[in-house]
Amino acid sequence: MAQARTKNTVSGDASLIGAGTRVRGRVTGDGDVVIGGHVEGDVVVRGDVTIEDGARCTSNVEGHAVTVAGELAGDVSASGPVVVGATARLRGNVRGAQFSMEDGASFAGRVECEFELPDGLGEDHAAPARRR
Amino acid sequence: MASTVIGAGITIEGEVTADDDVVVQGTIRGKLTSRDAVTVESGAVVEADVASGPLSVAGAVTGNITSSDRVDLQAGAKVVGNVKATRITIADGAQFKGNVDMDV
Repeated sequence: MAQARTKNTVSGDASLIGAGTRVRGRVTGDGDVVIGGHVEGDVVVRGDVTIEDGARCTSNVEGHAVTVAGELAGDVSASGPVVVGATARLRGNVRGAQFSMEDGASFAGRVECEFELPDGLGEDHAAPARRR
Repeated sequence: MASTVIGAGITIEGEVTADDDVVVQGTIRGKLTSRDAVTVESGAVVEADVASGPLSVAGAVTGNITSSDRVDLQAGAKVVGNVKATRITIADGAQFKGNVDMDV
């Protein structure tokens, strides 16, 4: 089971927006981003995005694995798993490959996840639910 | 460990304001303000006005620099803009175009 990470160290190409740092604007590129401060503006990266406890973001977030343990107002679009931690306050829609939310999290929005139906729930069962 | 690191693959277009030290390995376009030390590493691109404490540049900075402390332009640095600080060093191999104001 995925847990919300609240790491304070970065390595390699990772970026860290520290607790005393405020970014107003777009954050784009490759590599992981850990946000502990304030970000007003979209975050679009190819790596993982972690919004730590205490962080405040007004951003649409796009990344691979997205972990939210702080405050986020904006949509999340992840190519990997989305984890909403116990300390998270999330207002926005979430799209990801997987979605998990811990007890204590506050969340207002939609969850859109595409997933494979397990064996036994074949086309016969799935078809009516997909009908528009 | 720096409190804020802009990694090599990352671009920030906008304003970065920090209370603690900042290390730039990637790209910042806009404005960079820190109350503490700023390090622009080799390969980093800063197209922004920089206001900070001690500033060390080994990458490229295009913009005016104001430091409350010292500015060190290291070998390999490329700086286009005016520099205002009480102590300034420009290493052999650093490229610099602009005015120096040491407040004398």
